[in-house]
Amino acid sequence: MSKETSNPQTWLTDHGDYLFRYAISRLRNDELAKDMVQETLLAAWRGWDNFAGKSSVRTWLVGILKHKITDHIRKEIRDRRLAEAVESDPTSAWFGADGKWLEAPRAWKENPEELCESEQFQQVLQGCIEKLPDKQQVVFQMRELTGEDTETICNEVEISPTHLHVLIHRARLALRSCLDHHWFGGTRSQ
Amino acid sequence: MKHFCKEASQLASDLFERNLTFVERLRLRMHLAICDMCRNYSSNLSLLNNIFSGTRDQAKEDETCLSDEDRKQIEIALDQAAHHHH
Repeated sequence: MSKETSNPQTWLTDHGDYLFRYAISRLRNDELAKDMVQETLLAAWRGWDNFAGKSSVRTWLVGILKHKITDHIRKEIRDRRLAEAVESDPTSAWFGADGKWLEAPRAWKENPEELCESEQFQQVLQGCIEKLPDKQQVVFQMRELTGEDTETICNEVEISPTHLHVLIHRARLALRSCLDHHWFGGTRSQ
Repeated sequence: MKHFCKEASQLASDLFERNLTFVERLRLRMHLAICDMCRNYSSNLSLLNNIFSGTRDQAKEDETCLSDEDRKQIEIALDQAAHHHH
């Protein structure tokens, strides 16, 4: 057995913030991230006997946390019936039957660094992301906010890479249009 | 004439997700050469991509921590579980 302590309070002190940051990066929700940390520590405490001491306690805790997060995402998808792959094809909102843009994309003349730092822009961006349909929103957040790779997302959400790419594409169409209206040209008065 | 914009927009997005085949790259490039709208779309996506990767880097630098209140709540939960157990 390793010398590591089996006291969950110590785990909280030593690894709490690390676990919390990890959870936030996946879930983008403070309250939920806190709950995940709590559940992880409880599960770890119950399962202490299974800890083989082959890895560090932190690695072991992160492993448990990952499972908790994956379970949460799966459950959320089930609850919202997102697993039913068939969303109607929303690209018809952007393209005519002839395959041409209904609303021509315009050039955006802004500097990404300035936008990153603009509180106002981040709010508009967040608002646009929240308007995405559920499943698109889940995969888009994992992809763009957390920076997960295709394989990880496909495993967690249980979809094929092709399906993932279609969802991301649809999310980008919707997001681009939303930002165009609410920031780059539309209601933002000059 | 059937426009290629719908397909091109998918390819422009896929550029960030996977390696396009030679034929796909060629089709996309040829279309962008003649289509302002898709060229704009494509550069809009690049801008978004830059913004997201910039935000990710910022998030890494932020030292987010559990609040004292959260920490307290977790401590209580752990305590309760321990008492329940014994």
